[in-house]
Amino acid sequence: MELRQERRAVDRPLVSVVDDDESVRESLPDLLGELGFAARTFSSAEEFLASDCLDQARCLILDIAMPGMSGPDLQRELKLRGQEIPIIFITASTDKSTRPRLLEQGAVECLFKPFSDTALLKAINTAFHRK
Amino acid sequence: MEVQSEHASGEIKHLQRCINDLISLLALPAIWSGGDPSQVLHTLLDALMRMLRLDLVSVRLTDLVGGAPVEIVRLAELRGRVPSAHEICEALSQCLENDSRKWPPLLRNLMGEGDVSIVPLPLGLQGELGVIVAAAERTDFPRQTEALLLSVAANQASIGLQEARLLSHQKRLASELDQRVVQRTAELATANEELKKEFAERRLVEERLGQEEMELKRSEVRKAAIVDSALDCVVTIDHEGCITEFNPAAEHTFGYPREEVLGKHLPDVIIPPSLREKHQQGFARYLATGEAQVLGKRIEMTAVRADGSEFPVELAVTRIPLEGPPSFTGHLRDITERKRAEQELRRSQAFLAEAQHLSRTGSFSWRVATDEITWSEQLYRMFQIDRDAQVTFELICTRIHPEDLSVFQEHIERSRRDRSDVQLEFRLQMPDGAVKYVHVAAHIRGDHGQPEYIGAVQDVTERRSSEEALSKARSELSQVARVTSLGVLTASIAHEVNQPLSGIITNAGTCLRMLAADPPNVEGARETVRRTIRDGNRAADVISRLRALYSKKEPTIESVDLNEATREVLALSLSELQRNRVIVQQELVDDLPLVAGDRVQLQQVILNLLRNASDAMSTIDDRPRDLLIRTEPDDDDRVRLSVSDVGIGFEPQATDKLFEAFYTTKDEGMGIGLSVSRSIIERHHGRLWAMPNSGPGVTFSFSVPCKVEGLTSDSARASRTPSVSDAA
Repeated sequence: MELRQERRAVDRPLVSVVDDDESVRESLPDLLGELGFAARTFSSAEEFLASDCLDQARCLILDIAMPGMSGPDLQRELKLRGQEIPIIFITASTDKSTRPRLLEQGAVECLFKPFSDTALLKAINTAFHRK
Repeated sequence: MEVQSEHASGEIKHLQRCINDLISLLALPAIWSGGDPSQVLHTLLDALMRMLRLDLVSVRLTDLVGGAPVEIVRLAELRGRVPSAHEICEALSQCLENDSRKWPPLLRNLMGEGDVSIVPLPLGLQGELGVIVAAAERTDFPRQTEALLLSVAANQASIGLQEARLLSHQKRLASELDQRVVQRTAELATANEELKKEFAERRLVEERLGQEEMELKRSEVRKAAIVDSALDCVVTIDHEGCITEFNPAAEHTFGYPREEVLGKHLPDVIIPPSLREKHQQGFARYLATGEAQVLGKRIEMTAVRADGSEFPVELAVTRIPLEGPPSFTGHLRDITERKRAEQELRRSQAFLAEAQHLSRTGSFSWRVATDEITWSEQLYRMFQIDRDAQVTFELICTRIHPEDLSVFQEHIERSRRDRSDVQLEFRLQMPDGAVKYVHVAAHIRGDHGQPEYIGAVQDVTERRSSEEALSKARSELSQVARVTSLGVLTASIAHEVNQPLSGIITNAGTCLRMLAADPPNVEGARETVRRTIRDGNRAADVISRLRALYSKKEPTIESVDLNEATREVLALSLSELQRNRVIVQQELVDDLPLVAGDRVQLQQVILNLLRNASDAMSTIDDRPRDLLIRTEPDDDDRVRLSVSDVGIGFEPQATDKLFEAFYTTKDEGMGIGLSVSRSIIERHHGRLWAMPNSGPGVTFSFSVPCKVEGLTSDSARASRTPSVSDAA
């Protein structure tokens, strides 16, 4: 922990969060910071695509249901653009049937809200490991 | 003396006689006038015999009228035997030479015994006419007077003969002339006759020719009249393809005056440019080889009018049977109408067949009197009977389901008897055992002599089975819908609660980590706790709203801000709307008057309207699923809220039914929402209605009265606060 805290923010691996829910955008960066990552948040897929984050983010935490472009839409778009960012889906939906489909499409994990910090860390580690 | 006187008186008498004879002789030519030579000679010889005492006088004419010499002899009555004139002539010609001047004065034994003195008297200047011979036995012959008389007589005879000869010659000439005239006349008559005959013949020929010409002319006029009045276009061309005739129908059809096209090349006038080359080739081939693909046949081709428009024609070309280079006549008929009619017919036949096929309907006719039945193709298919089979009731009955056969036959007999219209449903049974339901409708037409049923047979098997399936599905559906709506509700609640819960748990986890740090990040932890409390409140809010929404508590009247109530409902249902790809637009007017009512019930209505709008657009993919929710002041101190969608809408006449329980345009759902909504609004002394949009979709609106004085929005808010704190 000490080591991690001493690391400068610029050295930390960047994790991007895309979710239209404000409470997620507020709470996740602090948790990610505690876990040793830098975080940037976006309220929509379009905002994320327009940012300079595409090349820098090593992992993407992505909400499924959003107005406009949905999470899976963004996943397809990134694949089309040749961006191989590992994706961790998060959703407030209780429909468990979406998970296998998303994993099949290449997602690292699909977490159902509310999820624990350890579950999130495990998923991020898997994502980094995959890369 | 006496003798002398006697001698003198005798001399005088002699002289006197001589003078008398001379006068007689001189008078002879008057007697002879108009006579012929033989008459001249006879009278002369008679006169000489009488005047002179001659024993013989003869005359020989050498060439009287071109015939044989004539000899006439006069003899005195001599003693003894009398020689014939012929003998004397013979004797004379033997003893005398032709030239009378050399004749001797005496001829011995001319007529037997004794000498005879002869005096030859030549006729004509040179004796060319002939010679007279006078002879006497007397020795004193001829005395001086006698010689004179003979000489005068010879002269007179010469003159008479000459005249007679001339006369005869003239007569002969005249006769010859006459004869020639007669002959010539005859010849002329003959010639004339022949001419007449020839003329008559020629006239006959001319008449015939004239008649033929007239016939020809008449026939030409007749033909021209036929050609001119023909409905078909008649065009003739010569061996070079140049137009020689162009009748009025052709003028009308092609739009050229006759004068303009005569002599022009036919293909350039009536054949479309694209086909000209082909025509030229065919024409050239015919001229070269005599083989033609178009002669004597009816062919269809495309022609072009003066204005360039093309149209179909029927064409028959024949060669005109005349000597010389070939010429042709073409009969053309504009068949645009016929073609169009044919096409129409084909199309309507195709339409009918297709319509019958699609609607599984066949048609038939039945002549009652003869049992003659005609089927459309679809009927053969429906009955699975060979297209070529002769349709009879016997055959039809083989396809009727055995259980329906008696009903069918009974209907047929009744139709035969009553001739009333037929409506009948029965079953068919195919050879493979398959059963078909068919519906027959037929009406009778035609007079009483020839009544005929015309009707249709529809295969209603599918409708029958789908009707059965539908009623079964309906009963199942109501149960399924109930379960489904519960599931949808649960999911909705979970989703709304999971969002704030997620925040709470994340914040709590972060807080723990911050506090566990060395040194602890107290400030950060405090912030996470603050957010945790806020999210907890949010979650509680959601729960209380849901509880209020779905609880069956009695309505409570309070001041309600419809804008806020709307925002709360939107907050609850937004994620579901988003999931359904609905794009929500809000037009909530500022300073909206408060209304008096049960907030939760009004929110139930709003939620219901949003759900309906969302459902109405669930199948819309060709346009954005726009939803507009708006609030505005209405007339008579009312407030109006409306929800517009761009969904499938509903039939205008269904407006009243919309609010009936169980009426639904949705495939799923119970359709109970709108009727409940309406009853809620009516309890608020308001009204709820629906209007089709000018574009796609529907707008549902309700209008409720503003609140009466006394209640404020503050009190409304206050009434809600406890539930929030309860949940917290």
